[in-house]
Amino acid sequence: MSGSTPGNDDRTDVLVIGAGAAGAAVAWMLARAGVGVVCLEQGDWVDPRALPHWRTDWELHRHTDWSAEPNVRRLPQDYPVNDAGSPIAPLMYNAVGGSTIHWSAHFPRFRPSDFRVRSLDGVADDWPIDYATLEPFFDLNDRMMGVAGLTGDPAYPPKAPRQTPPIPLDTLGATMARGFDRLGWHWWPSDSAILTRDYDGRRGCINCGPCDLGCPTGAKASTDITYWPKALAAGARLQTHARVREITLGPDGRADGALYHDGEGRLHAQKARAVVLAANGIGTPRLLLNSRSARFPHGLANRSGLVGGNLMFHPYAMVRGVFDRPLAGHRGPVGCSLISQEFYETDLSRGFVRGYSFQVARGLSPIASALGGFIGDRVPWGREHHRAYNDRFDRTITVAVIAEDLPEPHNRVDLDPALTDGDGIPAPRVFYTLSENSRRMLDHGIARAGEALEAAGAGEVSANPLLRAGGWHLMGTARMGRDPATSVIDAEGRCHDVPNLYIVDGSTMVTCAGVNPTSTIQAVALYIADGMIRRRS
Amino acid sequence: MTEETVATRRDLLALVLDTLVPASGGFPGAGAVALDHVLAMAAASADLERLLSQGLRAVEEASRANAAAGLASLSDDERENVLRRVERSHAEFFEALVRHTYDGYYSHPTVIARLGLDASPLHPRGHRVEAVDLPDLARVSARGPLHRPA
Repeated sequence: MSGSTPGNDDRTDVLVIGAGAAGAAVAWMLARAGVGVVCLEQGDWVDPRALPHWRTDWELHRHTDWSAEPNVRRLPQDYPVNDAGSPIAPLMYNAVGGSTIHWSAHFPRFRPSDFRVRSLDGVADDWPIDYATLEPFFDLNDRMMGVAGLTGDPAYPPKAPRQTPPIPLDTLGATMARGFDRLGWHWWPSDSAILTRDYDGRRGCINCGPCDLGCPTGAKASTDITYWPKALAAGARLQTHARVREITLGPDGRADGALYHDGEGRLHAQKARAVVLAANGIGTPRLLLNSRSARFPHGLANRSGLVGGNLMFHPYAMVRGVFDRPLAGHRGPVGCSLISQEFYETDLSRGFVRGYSFQVARGLSPIASALGGFIGDRVPWGREHHRAYNDRFDRTITVAVIAEDLPEPHNRVDLDPALTDGDGIPAPRVFYTLSENSRRMLDHGIARAGEALEAAGAGEVSANPLLRAGGWHLMGTARMGRDPATSVIDAEGRCHDVPNLYIVDGSTMVTCAGVNPTSTIQAVALYIADGMIRRRS
Repeated sequence: MTEETVATRRDLLALVLDTLVPASGGFPGAGAVALDHVLAMAAASADLERLLSQGLRAVEEASRANAAAGLASLSDDERENVLRRVERSHAEFFEALVRHTYDGYYSHPTVIARLGLDASPLHPRGHRVEAVDLPDLARVSARGPLHRPA
């Protein structure tokens, strides 16, 4: 499938930059309303027949061409990220579908309190929008992506019925659920953007396991198979192998399009009446900072100086328990089993503000077991190797502690003075330090996860206090707010400085909650697109 | 490198891999199933090739300090001791070697099958998930709303 190729002089209504989780949602909603849309995407379509799942050596690809780290993968469509100044490595995928190609599709929403952090807890800032405003867009996005889950979770306000029943917990999930249950703690089968039954022309999951390497079945929602077919059918046009160099301005100071390189490196111009940035929490500030002009010498839409600032990751600690029996952990979607939000809302007696979730994923595959998985303590080599390996293989449960990071201006993305991508465009550089609040939160989570694993029957428990290859969520670098001095975009997603330039990806997030952000990013993107349509009409 | 040199290097590396992951209990040694992978990775990366060459030289030198005939003439215990010395003196080489050995070993169909898994590609077969007894979610629901009103 491919969209038609936009011509260089073809002025469109809206230019969307990036075809991932947010860009696809916006393109679909705008095109469905009759708005002319062109999307530029630096990657290509992913052919499901070329995924590693068709090979016996599928797991090897996690370390090479299917690594989540662009600095490891180094495909032509990737750009390098200087992450030497960060203990967390940013992860992303560049393709139609963006990082939804390699995500694990754990799909919780932000809670109502996550939008009012300043009012409730006196830290960070409130969002200028709230859960009630976003709720219809959460629901719409759930229908578009297809969500497996179970209603009735007391951690959330009531939700509409999920599209399919929850992902089966299997032996591993049930073992861990019993642990949470013995402690009287909250747990619930995860909302997952993975179909357990056929839905909307897509097949149900066959439980093969490594969703992080793509999904050959199409059961896992990635926007190349959810939003894009519908967006293209509605008239949106998608140009692949199109890497945007800079956003251009007209004489009136409004965005009027972008310059981009095609797959051969040739430079083209795409004109537009409005521009929507959906290039993720690192790619978007990179592009704004690369779009300097006399009017914006410090980067486009950066009069506040906040473009690239307030970078938030979700810091992850990983806690592993070893059990004395097989857990069948290789069966089922790798990232999805159950969630616990027992320690989600603020309780200052714990020594930190805000909170975290536990995400219980599946077991480790053969290579990951040998290399120590997320803990990184590889099985010893030598004559004791097989005994040590057998003690561990298929006998571990890993609990991820996903902490709410708070925005701090010194955590930021800027431009590397020397590093560039294949088209010579300056690459991003990341500076990040883990705050004391986040450290205390992770330490609390490590101790509680250990208790839960022991309650589930684990013997030995080990922890990785901060996962380096854990920068899945890139947020906050062009934050939303009412005050142009303290935010980059307004409550409608428009840049304060350039009113026809919109931002819709994780950059917009004022705070990052203690859960995976994609469903919220997409709901915000749909809300912003809806506003564009309403104002147009 | 001459053919003879290449063969000698293969033999030495196979012996090293067999010391890292020996044949045991029906599992093959890594020299039999991971050697080609390690060599392919080295052929694809100049950095890894350099590390491998330096590391294997260190193994040879450490072996000859024990016996003139080299690693092949040593007992299993002595081979392991030699590699532990090289692990300390050439940490970067050893870390890469173990990682690529495990990669090659635990992706090989013979080993996958020995682990009790289906060694055929994951797709289109997938996995059958068994029904299991779950704790009653009514206990969780009975606690009432856990989220703060905004």
